[in-house]
Amino acid sequence: MVVDIIVDGGMLYGLIAVGAGLATGLAGIGAGVGEQGIGAAVVGVVAEEPGFLGKGLFLMLLPETLIIFGLAVSLILMFAWTPFV
Amino acid sequence: MSRVVVAGSKNVIEPVIENLHEQNLLHIVNYSGGDNAFAMGKSLERAHEISEQLIKLRSIERYLGITGKIPDREFTESEVVSQMSDILDVIGADVVTTYERIAEIENDVKVKQDQISAMKPLSALPIPLELLSGYESLATFVGTVDSPVESDVSGVSPSNEVFSAGDHAVAVFVPVDKASAVSGVLAEHGFVETSLPKDISGSISGAITTLESDIKSLGSEKEPLQKKLDGLKAQHEDAILAVDEYLSIKAQKAEAPMQFASTENAFVVDGWVPTDQFDTLEREIESATGGRVQVEMLNEGEADELVEAGEDVPTKIDNPSVVRPYELVTRLFATPEYKEYDPSLLIFIFFPIMFGLILGDVAYGLITMVVMFMLRRKFRTPGWTSLINIVIIASVWSIIFGILFGEIFGPMGLWDYIFSGAHYVGLLGTVAQPHLVGVDFGVGFYGPLGRIGPSGIGSFDGAMFPMYRLATASVLVLIGVSLFIAVLHTGIGSILGVKTELAYGEKRHAYYERLPVLLFQVFFAIGLLGLIVGGLTNPLVPLSALVILVSIVMMVKGPEGVMGATHIPFFVSNLISYLRLLAIGLASVGVAFAANKLAFYVVMPMLSGPEGAHGAFTTMAIVIGVVVLIMVHFINLLLGLLSPFMHPLRLHYVEMFTKFYSQHGGGIEYAPFGHVRRFLRG
Repeated sequence: MVVDIIVDGGMLYGLIAVGAGLATGLAGIGAGVGEQGIGAAVVGVVAEEPGFLGKGLFLMLLPETLIIFGLAVSLILMFAWTPFV
Repeated sequence: MSRVVVAGSKNVIEPVIENLHEQNLLHIVNYSGGDNAFAMGKSLERAHEISEQLIKLRSIERYLGITGKIPDREFTESEVVSQMSDILDVIGADVVTTYERIAEIENDVKVKQDQISAMKPLSALPIPLELLSGYESLATFVGTVDSPVESDVSGVSPSNEVFSAGDHAVAVFVPVDKASAVSGVLAEHGFVETSLPKDISGSISGAITTLESDIKSLGSEKEPLQKKLDGLKAQHEDAILAVDEYLSIKAQKAEAPMQFASTENAFVVDGWVPTDQFDTLEREIESATGGRVQVEMLNEGEADELVEAGEDVPTKIDNPSVVRPYELVTRLFATPEYKEYDPSLLIFIFFPIMFGLILGDVAYGLITMVVMFMLRRKFRTPGWTSLINIVIIASVWSIIFGILFGEIFGPMGLWDYIFSGAHYVGLLGTVAQPHLVGVDFGVGFYGPLGRIGPSGIGSFDGAMFPMYRLATASVLVLIGVSLFIAVLHTGIGSILGVKTELAYGEKRHAYYERLPVLLFQVFFAIGLLGLIVGGLTNPLVPLSALVILVSIVMMVKGPEGVMGATHIPFFVSNLISYLRLLAIGLASVGVAFAANKLAFYVVMPMLSGPEGAHGAFTTMAIVIGVVVLIMVHFINLLLGLLSPFMHPLRLHYVEMFTKFYSQHGGGIEYAPFGHVRRFLRG
């Protein structure tokens, strides 16, 4: 019955949009938390040894892929997945 | 590169150094001791004198604020020598005395300003300065307090004299024997003592006026001195830098023997030279010394032994001039090792395309390009020039992609006004009507595969473009494009990885670590394609499943064993990571879209009153709307420039370089013994 309300009542696409938003947003928070520690450490290293800027950047950008995963899920939800219908 | 040894007796050391420096070919390897037969070399006798002159010159440069510039004129060596003593002694002495006087004046002014700011609160006290101190039987307290002190001071010292002015300034006179008690009382009221100038008499406000006029006269003394320094700088800047270069070269030559191995009567220079230049090097040195040195090239076996013993072979980075700016990106990560592939060329190919794909807007691209051309006149150091050239090339690509995407200041921006002459109607239309004419990729297993444009406007009906990026169909196409770039980019990385490992003789690493990654990623993408086009029954799916299985088996058999297979999630995420090419672009398109929507559909109609709904905007509404437009687009452009730069950088560093580059810790750059001449004619 609940499923009926969701599907027929037009809530379906709203819920998909909320889900897509949560997927990207929470992944973003996760990536941010990950980058926080690395970023602080990299700034410390670069202050002492500027030559490590490239390698530090490399390490700092690693967790950024997380948010792309979230985004991929969002894109699938928004564009490629048609449930129940 | 070839390893070269130059040996000779000490009486030819100077011509050898001169000749090596002139040739600018030999990358000298420092002798670090360790061999009992040889000692570390000592610098030539004149080195001390030269470095003293250099220190003197550098201090003159610092006083004049010379920090290096583009040469306006060049000097011959004899010109420099004739001007050197004049610059070092006459002009130098002038500069030093002038500078020191200015520093003295600045110090004086600062002291006087401090005195003024200390005395300001006391200026209302009715006592002349000379009466505030210098008593034998009286203790004086002059300063500021937080609250009135008279009654409390009377409490501990009945005989007192308290002057106060305003709310805070006080001067308290008490007998010397009561001083400590009174000081305690005053501290309770937050007393802060003011140190008064000893050499000024008269009223405090008069003293402040005197100090202020002193500061003024000091200022007027400083001004011509500063002008004189500026004049000296303008007149002699090039000459001073030329002398600097001359002395630097002399110092470099005089200190060169410190890099050599030497005995009492002989020296040995050890270094690397590009193999094809060895003959020139040998001929030149021998003719310069009349054949009294031994120049010898180590054969390859010996050179390889040195490499295996941990010595770095210098890498000569040599790229075509268009690629050269991208060496900056490579160097930022690591200098390529001798046997490694220099990825600058790949960065030159991929980086601008990725940048363009993300930014993808004609107007943003043009603005970026114009700003960069303007900055190029200002910032002329090699690092900045490289960076600016990188962005200029990238902005060309963003204009190209902007045309493809139909974006001038985002969707609903200028494009539609220029090319359709009508209000934009197509954006939501494209989403709602996927059956419009255009390049349709047909229907796949899970649904429609998407299409490229058109939006059904004006003369572009049925054309390949513009493909509005926010439309569903375009998003799906761009996901495909991103994954295609991903496979290409990481695939090239893996192939280079195989090549590099083979160059180092690591066959097992090449075939069981690098190769399976290539197979895995390529066939992962092919399998995905098959799945989308035809579902599980498509022949591509079982084929790629088989190849992926084989590649996993290869990884397990590789040098890392079962651990090798644990990297698989990393390889999958490598591919997904390229979706950022689409995602970051969409984010900036979204903001541009919002800006246009806000201005044309919200701000302008609302401010125009009832007629606004029919497109008749008042002037006021248009002005405010344009201000909103400019602000939002400006912010979007600023943010939108950073991401298209950083993210392709990441795709190179993380996704591509990990496949082949800098596995052995980075190399050292070929830096031949010599000097770049900028102010001196060769």
